[in-house]
Amino acid sequence: MTQNSYTDSNIRWIYPLPAILFVALLMVFPVLYTTYISLTNWTLTSGTAPSFIGLSNYGQVLLEPRFLQALWRTFVFTFSAVAVEAVLGVAAALLLNRVFVGRSVVKLLLLLPLVATPVAVGIVFNLFYDPTIGLANYVLESLGLPGSSWISHADTVLFSLVLVDVWQWTPMITLIVLAGLASLSDEPAEAARIDGANEWQIIRLITLPMVMPVIVTAVILRLIDALKTFDIIFAMTGGGPGYASETLNLIGYKYSFEYFRMGQAAVILMVLFLIVLACSVAITRLGKRIER
Amino acid sequence: MKTTLKLGLAMAVTMGLSGAALAQTKEIRVLLANHPYGEVLKAAIPQFEQQSGIKVNVESLQESQLTTKLTTEFATNSSSVDVFMTRPLQDGKLFAKNKWYEPLGGYDFSDYPANTVSIVTYDGQPNIVPLVTEWQVLFYRKDLLEAAGLKVPTNFDELTAAAEKLNTGGLAGFASRGKGAAAVTQLSTFVYNFGGNYLDKGVAVFDSKEAVDGIRYYGKLVGSYGPRGVTSMSWENILPLFQAGRIAMWTDASVFYGQLTDPAKSSLGADKIGIANVPAGPKANSPFYVTSWGIAMASQSKKKDLAKTFLEWATSKELAAKAMEANITMARTSVWEDKAVTAKVDPGLVETRAFVAKNGNPSDRPFMSAVGEARDLIGEIIIESINTKGESPQIDQMAKDRAVKVNTLLRDTGEYGQ
Amino acid sequence: MKAVGLRILFYLAVVLLALIVLLPFLWMLISSLKTQIDIVAWPPKFIFSPTLQNYYKVFGEQDFIRYFINSTIVAVFAVGVSLLLGLPAAYSIARFSQRRLAMVILLARLMPGISFLMPWYIIFSRLGLMDSYVALVLSHVLITLPIVVWIMSSYFETIPLELEESAMVDGASRHYIFLKIILPLSGPGIITATTLSFIFSWNNFLFSQVLSMEKTRTLPIAVFNFLSYADIDWGGVMAASVAIMAPALVLTMIFQRYVVSGLTMGAVKG
Repeated sequence: MTQNSYTDSNIRWIYPLPAILFVALLMVFPVLYTTYISLTNWTLTSGTAPSFIGLSNYGQVLLEPRFLQALWRTFVFTFSAVAVEAVLGVAAALLLNRVFVGRSVVKLLLLLPLVATPVAVGIVFNLFYDPTIGLANYVLESLGLPGSSWISHADTVLFSLVLVDVWQWTPMITLIVLAGLASLSDEPAEAARIDGANEWQIIRLITLPMVMPVIVTAVILRLIDALKTFDIIFAMTGGGPGYASETLNLIGYKYSFEYFRMGQAAVILMVLFLIVLACSVAITRLGKRIER
Repeated sequence: MKTTLKLGLAMAVTMGLSGAALAQTKEIRVLLANHPYGEVLKAAIPQFEQQSGIKVNVESLQESQLTTKLTTEFATNSSSVDVFMTRPLQDGKLFAKNKWYEPLGGYDFSDYPANTVSIVTYDGQPNIVPLVTEWQVLFYRKDLLEAAGLKVPTNFDELTAAAEKLNTGGLAGFASRGKGAAAVTQLSTFVYNFGGNYLDKGVAVFDSKEAVDGIRYYGKLVGSYGPRGVTSMSWENILPLFQAGRIAMWTDASVFYGQLTDPAKSSLGADKIGIANVPAGPKANSPFYVTSWGIAMASQSKKKDLAKTFLEWATSKELAAKAMEANITMARTSVWEDKAVTAKVDPGLVETRAFVAKNGNPSDRPFMSAVGEARDLIGEIIIESINTKGESPQIDQMAKDRAVKVNTLLRDTGEYGQ
Repeated sequence: MKAVGLRILFYLAVVLLALIVLLPFLWMLISSLKTQIDIVAWPPKFIFSPTLQNYYKVFGEQDFIRYFINSTIVAVFAVGVSLLLGLPAAYSIARFSQRRLAMVILLARLMPGISFLMPWYIIFSRLGLMDSYVALVLSHVLITLPIVVWIMSSYFETIPLELEESAMVDGASRHYIFLKIILPLSGPGIITATTLSFIFSWNNFLFSQVLSMEKTRTLPIAVFNFLSYADIDWGGVMAASVAIMAPALVLTMIFQRYVVSGLTMGAVKG
């Protein structure tokens, strides 16, 4: 009994302790270790022990055009993908937010892209995009339009990858917004309708403002996930052609596991880490504001 | 003093004992590549185990994973690998520099062409036994060339003319790899035939006029007559297109000949597919002829005797002859001189090999430790050249800039000017 | 009349939407039933004689059954460990409103996996744990643990406090209450957490790509490697893609309600 009372009074740290230790061991420690490596000249293949070189890796990597382009590209990819997803996702949610035959089937369909293995999705889209045998160009050409090079050309590759992300993750915004819409009360909309407002006015002036907090949360979550996109890019282009679709994630992977330049790779990882951390802090701030 | 001696003795005894214990288990760990010769070995290993009483633990890995795995295990000193397949031109410099290969002083290299041995020799001793060689060839569609009234091109002018004539809506006149780093090996012959090179005595020289001419010509040919999206294509993308009858001519490594004619994958018959030497360039006629795969012992191996037994068996003449029947082009000279063996090999392979054995260049990429990074850098120039059909005014500047970067890589690893 | 027109327009839009979502899945399925010759045909063939040879190749000649088993082992253990660590933590977070604690665990969900991967890679190689189930499961738990904590802490909050209070009055310990009262009431939450964590472990590519090799190779890596094993065998790759997606899709169909609630609760993605 006494032991029980000890557990009882200390349960607030005994219960979470194993989970916290686990996270500390697998996440916090590696981040500290990465910080340390970023200050050394370590190359796994050099055969020599790492030596401390201060911030010179940072100077070197942060000024490297290839890195800066990847940084910029990461933002372009993230923002364009999420912008399209937000618009389409909200539109689809508004469209589906009514009673109709087959609603449950459509909702199930929307779930499928979310749980589909990203690597396999990437490979399927590769077959789609193949300029010589792919369905995408067949559709374009049957519509009388010129075919595209899709992921095979530097000018179109990023756009093509954004499309894949849009296909896979728009449903997430739709489902979240649908859930948000379901929790709204009908009263304001009904009142407006009685006052003679048309559907478009109701959506624009009443429904959208009411679900805005939900939309914002969904968009921020998507932003963070889109920043981290790795699988589809790695599977579809490996960062190519050339470096044309290399994002921070990709360049970090290449520096670590293809070039084995651990010190410089660590710098890239730190930058990526800090960007995502900043976004996460923004989320919590925003979450608090929405709660109020 | 006495205690030290005793301690030393005790240690020697224990080590001897543990050595004996290890020998009793007679087990080795072997890493193979997902390569046709790897398959040949895998299939024959049970036989070896029976003869020798050595148990062989085999793992097969895809080539880039194999390099990664070996690099990590060796670099972190955590390896239990005894024997492994390796790519002399990709891994060689790096592994040898870090002394991850066990020098093969006692091995009889007399049956191997001198240039295949010299490229695996470090500090006067060969480190790798060459297994498989490959060289660049021109695959072409006999029926299409005939219908167009064309002869098989023998120089670059004829090649351009043929590609242009054969190129129609649904058919690419000419294809070769366009995917940056992967294309570097296939570009090499073009650079050589224009009189250029990637490296010369440890210095990047692919910004020379000759090399740039080669890069421009390659870009013009592949960009103008290649399949759409060629800048994301390596051999694995081009091969199915050729099999589907969408490509008239294709330059790539000789190893693909067997697959090209596989009736399960191609609606074309073997009789429609020809193989020839890569056409000559304005300055030279020297396609790459390289040892694509070799096999080596790990210097970290604790069972070198057993490893050596395995190595001798895995590189034996009998296995080489057997592999030749499957159109795997082995490095050993004697199997190519043995009429009984060559009778079973495709004559196109025999002929093109005879040519490259005399005239070939033993490297198809910048031969250095940081070869992966160097290939990425050169790959950028290739893509620019293909995208602009060799016309881009930037190519010279890019070549200069990338050469500087490759020189930096060479300096980083202490290979510059060597 | 106008209403009917609108209705038709609405259904057209819905059908179009469904088609766009379905098309990649359908094309994958169709291509997996084609021979290589049919796949590379131009224009693409919509009528062809289907074949199962690609599936035979994937499961017969390639070692996909083994990769299937590997994926299952890793996912099952990752989910198990996450529940073991995550359920008590989630309970504590819910009961004592430990938001900071929740944030620390959720950071693992938000952070890019690659920023931990390099140190793991070095440490696991030093420990000789590369290509081991232990390393893979540990890395996957970092994905699945936050999912469990996130979903379960929200779920525990919905269980009325009165239940616990009356049990405490009867002299039951916290531990007893958690095990015998709270957990049995949490079935739906646990199903949600388990399904989603299983799917995200199943789909993980990056961690397995770096930490697994021949022995512990999971399905996503096997599918990817299949691409470069030989010339692109589109039919085989598509059959492999069907095989890898099928379990996640089937699970989703069975537990649709739970998956939706889990995903929309905070939108979880690995």
